[in-house]
Amino acid sequence: MSEQSKYHEQEQQWKTDVEKTTKRFPERKEEFITSSEIPIDRLYTPEENPGETYEDKLGFPGQYPYTRGIQPTMYRSRYWTMRQYAGFGSAEETNKRFRYLLEQGQTGLSVAFDLPTQIGYDSDDPMAEGEVGKVGVAIDTLKDMEQLFDQIPLDKVSTSMTINAPASILLCMYIAVGEKQGVPMEKLTGTIQNDILKEYIARGTYIYPPKPSMRLITNIFGYCQTHVPKFNTISISGYHIREAGSTAVQEVAFTIANGMAYVDAAIESGLEVDQFAPRLAFFFNAHNQFFEEVAKFRAARRIWAKIMKEHYQAENPKSWKLRFHTQTGGSTLTAQQPDNNIVRVTLQALAAVMGGTQSLHTNSRDEALALPTEDSARIALRTQQIIANESGVADTIDPLGGSYYVESLTDKIEEEVNDYLERIDKLGGAVQAVEDGYMQREIHQSAYDAQKKIESGEDIIVGMNEFRIEEEINPDLLRVDEALEAHQIEQTKNIRETRDQQLVDDCLNNLKEAARHENENLMPYILEAVKAYATVGEIANVLREEFGEYTGM
Amino acid sequence: MKKQIRALIAKPGLDGHDRGALIIAQALRDHGMEVIYTGLRQSPVQIAQAAIQEDVDVVGLSSLSGAHKSLFPKVVQALKDKGAEDIPVIGGGVIPAEDIPYLEGQGVAKIFTSGTPTEEIAKYIEKMVDPEESLVAAPKKIAHIGIAVKQLEAALPFYQDVLGLKLENVEEVTSEQVRVAFLKIGETRLELLEPLNEESPIHQHIEKRGEGIHHLALEVDDISERLKQYKESGVALIHDTPKAGAHDSQIAFLHPKAGHGVLYELCQYREKE
Repeated sequence: MSEQSKYHEQEQQWKTDVEKTTKRFPERKEEFITSSEIPIDRLYTPEENPGETYEDKLGFPGQYPYTRGIQPTMYRSRYWTMRQYAGFGSAEETNKRFRYLLEQGQTGLSVAFDLPTQIGYDSDDPMAEGEVGKVGVAIDTLKDMEQLFDQIPLDKVSTSMTINAPASILLCMYIAVGEKQGVPMEKLTGTIQNDILKEYIARGTYIYPPKPSMRLITNIFGYCQTHVPKFNTISISGYHIREAGSTAVQEVAFTIANGMAYVDAAIESGLEVDQFAPRLAFFFNAHNQFFEEVAKFRAARRIWAKIMKEHYQAENPKSWKLRFHTQTGGSTLTAQQPDNNIVRVTLQALAAVMGGTQSLHTNSRDEALALPTEDSARIALRTQQIIANESGVADTIDPLGGSYYVESLTDKIEEEVNDYLERIDKLGGAVQAVEDGYMQREIHQSAYDAQKKIESGEDIIVGMNEFRIEEEINPDLLRVDEALEAHQIEQTKNIRETRDQQLVDDCLNNLKEAARHENENLMPYILEAVKAYATVGEIANVLREEFGEYTGM
Repeated sequence: MKKQIRALIAKPGLDGHDRGALIIAQALRDHGMEVIYTGLRQSPVQIAQAAIQEDVDVVGLSSLSGAHKSLFPKVVQALKDKGAEDIPVIGGGVIPAEDIPYLEGQGVAKIFTSGTPTEEIAKYIEKMVDPEESLVAAPKKIAHIGIAVKQLEAALPFYQDVLGLKLENVEEVTSEQVRVAFLKIGETRLELLEPLNEESPIHQHIEKRGEGIHHLALEVDDISERLKQYKESGVALIHDTPKAGAHDSQIAFLHPKAGHGVLYELCQYREKE
């Protein structure tokens, strides 16, 4: 009997068995679908994935189109960077948490800033009331930044900063701290988020309208390519799009559409694609549907590689590689039975590793209730360390590659993402689509559908709408000291009184003048201003006057 | 016609997480309310102004940034300053349980924590805005008629063979120490109850009055809320919180003196779809 007919005979037998079995025991659901509503078949077989496309679709690790990973050896050389996002209260307190995390074996820093800092307000601005130090560390002047990195040598750690509208100000402060430590800016490594489009779409910390915001971003690209060449100048983020309620497909589609808008803007500003594209980084979410998430990461790499090579005709292979950070899904965590969240985070982290992430933040169990306590943050880091050191999953590259199901899902996600990209292109590109509210509406619809599925019991969230317990657990939570706000305001006032005010005024005037000339790169002016101890709010306000403020839809 | 409820959903402070606020806004719209959403970064004074201008019945605040303790009471205060303290303020977001008493003490009417079904929030608002309207609805139908028998096996032939009713199932309800058989009849059922031992209330019933009709069960929803309301209006109850009944239902008995000699059972089935 030939192999072929044996296969078909077995297949036929299985189908008969299925029919018999399902008559007596119907399956759990009539229809199985992923979070992106991709139908899931009962079984995937070699017929879904004819072998002849291996070279085009998958290739080898470190080779175009990078489906299997961007490095030739992946985690056999070095594990992903374990990078826990942290920050609260004052710079001194956050500095302590950073040093604790580094002592515990964390390999990179990730700074959370408070909302006033992220929106360009000083701690004493009336708009900042009640928010100082709450969701991250409060930074007003270079002085705070010096405290934040006290005793942390900037040539030894890489630092990721979640900062967008005022990204250039905080990056300049980081450069200035490096200089004080004797570390030249060419040696600094790290990432600034600097992704304003997803702020309009999903996260909300915008300041200026899209056009001048895009200019600030390309200014950073231009400045860093010569002066801070090892810094990732943007982290194009799907994370917050997913948190706002998108599906996995929408997360990749909108992120890549935004990425293309940045590439377009940089090229328009006169940069060569291969000069800046190697420093573009991405940031994705990891939710619970394990295989869909793994397939999502693999599909994203392949889509970006094709776009950079074929659409933008980048020649440097580094421009083709989608490097990404992953964070587990905050919105998947429940306030009920918070210890269950440790298990969710483990699954999500595993999906990120199976998807070939370059760095990872694992959420803490108590994040649906407050900022993580030190205990919870340690368990979250330990989760990554257990996956890396005990599970053996990092010992071969892309272990799910070749799974009939995962490959089929990868193809399907790529197809659906490309459909979205086409639609966004027809709308006039990502910037236009954002201004029209297209992505916002799509995300809201998905979020509402998901909510309805939970409320109807169609989707089960363990501990929340099923498997509940009567008594609610009240874990110890981290509280930010309410006295901090007054203390921070005091410190900033002191700096305003003791700095060279004339120098600050000059720097701010020069910045104002430069902002009026569209072709001027603002980075050197901002760097001079932060070195003179101008505040985040003062610098942001100069640009508010010149650029105007974005007021939402 | 019933007045349409108007709600203002607002994001105080700098927090940009508006997934929850948008979902609540749409869910309330789906409940027939008119909803105004302020958008991001509203100061407490701006929110109070919008509430008054739009003449809303309720203000819903959402904050996930930890600033609720400072911002929510300021909204209450701003409404008071403008003479609009009659507009109730409710809130939600990432709010630790231990902050809730403080916020309620500051005049926030209610905090809904993460995981609250939107249905519950809508019902709460309806009740708050119009307490009369929200009295629980009349029972839907007679869920079953309970008949006390000494032994199921002795009684069943009459019901199955003579009347020709279909026996649905037999199960033990340990909370009442009975074994019950359900027979379907039209849209309702007969429930035969056999005492499991001498402690069983059915045994006592048979001892006192012999076999015969024991109770009427009414199918309802919102059993907990209903019991609360009945209790508040002074109805005599045997159970003031629901307990587990047959068929995965929640049940509670009213006292026979409430029903003028009839023992009533309230019965809520789990939503199946």
